[in-house]
Amino acid sequence: MADDGGGAGAWSHTAAQLGELLDLVDEAVVTCDRADGTVLGFNRAAARIFPRLRPGRPAGRAAAPLAHAQARGAKRFSAAHGGRRLRGRRGTVDGLAVWLLSQAGRVQGAGAALVDERDRSAFLEEAAQRLGASLHHGRTARTLVELVTPKLADVSVVVLPASGRRTDWHRAGPGDARSSGEVAVEALEEVPEVANALYGLQPRPAVVGAREPDTLAHLVPAEFVRGGEPLVAQLAAGGVPAGVLIMWRGPERDRFDDADVELAQRFAVRAGLALATAALYSQQAHTLAVLQAGMAPAPLPPADGLRLGAAYRPAAEALHISGDFYHVAPSAGGGVTFFFGDVSGKGAEAAVLAGHLRQSMRTLAMVAKDSEPLRDLRLLNDIVLSDGHRFTTLVTGSACPRGDGSVRVEIAGGGHLSPLALRGDGSVEEIPCEGTLVGAVPDPGFGRTEFLLEPGELILFYSDGVTEARGGASGREMYGEERLVDALASCTDMQAASVAERLELLTTEWLAGRPHDDISLLTLQAPPRRGSPPHPRPESRAGPRAGKDEGP
Amino acid sequence: MSGTRITEAARAGFDACLAAADEDAAIELAVGLVASGVSAEDVLLRLVAPAQLKVGELWASGEWTVAQEHAATHVSSRTVDEVASAARGTARPPAGSGAQGRVLVACSDGEWHVLPARILTEVLRLRGFDVRSLGGSVPPDGILSDVHRNGPDVVALSCTLPWNLPLAYRQIEICRWAGVPVIAGGSGFGPAGTWAYALGADLYAADARDAAEALLHRWPPVLRGESSVGADAVEAYAMLVRQRPGLLEYLASVLRDVCPGLGGSSGPEQEEGTGFLGRLLDSLAAAVFVDDERVFTRHLAFVRTYLAARSADSRCLLAMTDALAGRLNGSPRALDTLSAGRRFLTGQEDGSGSRG
Repeated sequence: MADDGGGAGAWSHTAAQLGELLDLVDEAVVTCDRADGTVLGFNRAAARIFPRLRPGRPAGRAAAPLAHAQARGAKRFSAAHGGRRLRGRRGTVDGLAVWLLSQAGRVQGAGAALVDERDRSAFLEEAAQRLGASLHHGRTARTLVELVTPKLADVSVVVLPASGRRTDWHRAGPGDARSSGEVAVEALEEVPEVANALYGLQPRPAVVGAREPDTLAHLVPAEFVRGGEPLVAQLAAGGVPAGVLIMWRGPERDRFDDADVELAQRFAVRAGLALATAALYSQQAHTLAVLQAGMAPAPLPPADGLRLGAAYRPAAEALHISGDFYHVAPSAGGGVTFFFGDVSGKGAEAAVLAGHLRQSMRTLAMVAKDSEPLRDLRLLNDIVLSDGHRFTTLVTGSACPRGDGSVRVEIAGGGHLSPLALRGDGSVEEIPCEGTLVGAVPDPGFGRTEFLLEPGELILFYSDGVTEARGGASGREMYGEERLVDALASCTDMQAASVAERLELLTTEWLAGRPHDDISLLTLQAPPRRGSPPHPRPESRAGPRAGKDEGP
Repeated sequence: MSGTRITEAARAGFDACLAAADEDAAIELAVGLVASGVSAEDVLLRLVAPAQLKVGELWASGEWTVAQEHAATHVSSRTVDEVASAARGTARPPAGSGAQGRVLVACSDGEWHVLPARILTEVLRLRGFDVRSLGGSVPPDGILSDVHRNGPDVVALSCTLPWNLPLAYRQIEICRWAGVPVIAGGSGFGPAGTWAYALGADLYAADARDAAEALLHRWPPVLRGESSVGADAVEAYAMLVRQRPGLLEYLASVLRDVCPGLGGSSGPEQEEGTGFLGRLLDSLAAAVFVDDERVFTRHLAFVRTYLAARSADSRCLLAMTDALAGRLNGSPRALDTLSAGRRFLTGQEDGSGSRG
């Protein structure tokens, strides 16, 4: 046959002899009129496969798989016939369509069917596993097209549900090529099968006939458009549309047959579920991320004549939303105002109150002409009381650099752990600031105190997540104030930011991966005098230091 | 024409800024280099990174205190920030910022050396990647949560401390399970990243520049790593983890007997001793986990140098390994590692140690 390629054969027989010769061939041969599909001739092997085949009549029901392929204009087919797999390919000689058909033996066919089924199960299992592992919408979509390429198709595209006039698509194939983009929904809707699938109305995957004007052309490389006949599968979860999977095969490959359509359907069920779950997760994660960003402490402002540092490690179980809060703002008269607190409980409920408090504090700072911490605390007490059954600890204050390089700090507080001052001689001093919790009783008493930080000295505010961190050798011991004081004492000559970082490190190491409460630290420091850089201190201890690791 | 190279004088100047913890001068120097035409990437990789390496050495050799090391590290970290923002401000914006793809940078669980990850973050940004950085000591669920939410194309994992390898393994596993390939980097992954591949990482890069090149040339990265961590190794590791509190207590008592100078009976000295012994145990466990005794012998080499620099008796290390061997009869893997440690300490093998 001319289009089979290779060297040409040589014949010197009569026509009748040729027919007998063809009867000796194992492969079934059927010739049809290319125009109307009328059967013109067939050999003995073909008669065994299609006993009702008659010359001069259409292939029709007598040879259904062949007739279907013929109607589609396909060059190849692979179909179940009489319980066995039948493969056909078409050649042409003048006006004749010549079908060459081969059938797997019964035993061989059953074995092959089993292998096929195992193969399909393995594919579906892998698909379920890989799709189940991703909750990111885009990644799930990419995984999905990667899974079906090249197993089911040479190029596959997933189109995500439309939320406007354009919608996203992701493509895998041919080969390792990956891309993504946007397409107008209007263009997709011109293909009925795709439109139906987009709106959840295409329960079975369908092959799109080549007759369609090809509006899918911009989704796929040109050579596949010519190949035509993509398979379109709806992706949905419980009837809710989750996207459309469109698969193309190159001209070298068999067309989609019934087995492919069935496999595509089984795959689409799993893929639809994964895609819908990921879409839901992505929406919620986005909402959460926006809320989280709104609740996280604002970055520390630059402040002349002061050094600032902070560490913030919310408890993991509440998705990093914390009841700890702090804020530092530059003050009009120089220096900064700040507040630091810890709402009772943790997680989202505590974080909501912390958010209210931050907002209220900032509003108070805006309307008040002078800093009046005790008045602020009383107002907050009313706010928190009216808010419900939670309460909070709070330290509020201001730090103002003075001309001589020292910093005057004023704090007022209710119920919070007393801050610790790291003095120039390396000692650590507790700065008492007594007071009742904010929002616990209608008539609270708050403490107020003032002190100086000399150049290089530092004050530390911390939440109870630090001192109540459970760990150590036993895993049950609390970190405690004594360890914190020692740790702070070891931070002499460090900058405020490094101190916060180091204390966070020591606490986290103490925890050694165990769950913990919200951990927050805030440090304010009077900068050391110029010309007295950190001086090497004589090493007081011979032993290796806790919390210090091998070089960076 | 001195504009595009980093001179020895600049290096020395920067080292001096770190020694004096002079943040302003360090930033001025580094940003000045960028302004004079040196690429920001070169400033990060050829000025800041080597200077910071020296800081680590100065600390390990006992010349610098922890406070000095922290102060210098802080200055380096601020310098990285400023160099990056200067590069963004002056240089042309990288073509199609973020167009190269999305990278999530994280430090291994338990890792507090964040500077290498910071530098990697900025180098990748300068190369046009869209980078999110999660900072120090990121637990596996923190990575997973970010992977689900932000869908990075690849996770870059930094590890400088080999005793964290079992923790890094969980991070690598969780990323790959979620379908995201992992590029590992940092000295903690061993010579030529051998332990990164053992843990199933898909790529390894020795430094930030290599990482950028590897990602640019192999984009998008694909899952191709395969972990060689066996079930036996995990079981042997799990046993050591379970016994850790008891072993730690026992080692502390041995330490008090053998080297009374190292670690008192209470207070901060005891905690420091506990930290040192804890790392010894963790290194042993990590060596068992990745099935490579070099994780342990390299740690011994480091501790020996560290102790010697502080004129402490490093012979106590031998006492510690022997004491452990007495307690770990049931674990052939741990015993093998300990005897490799013993061979190393008694001078029969060097620290970089050939295997087996």
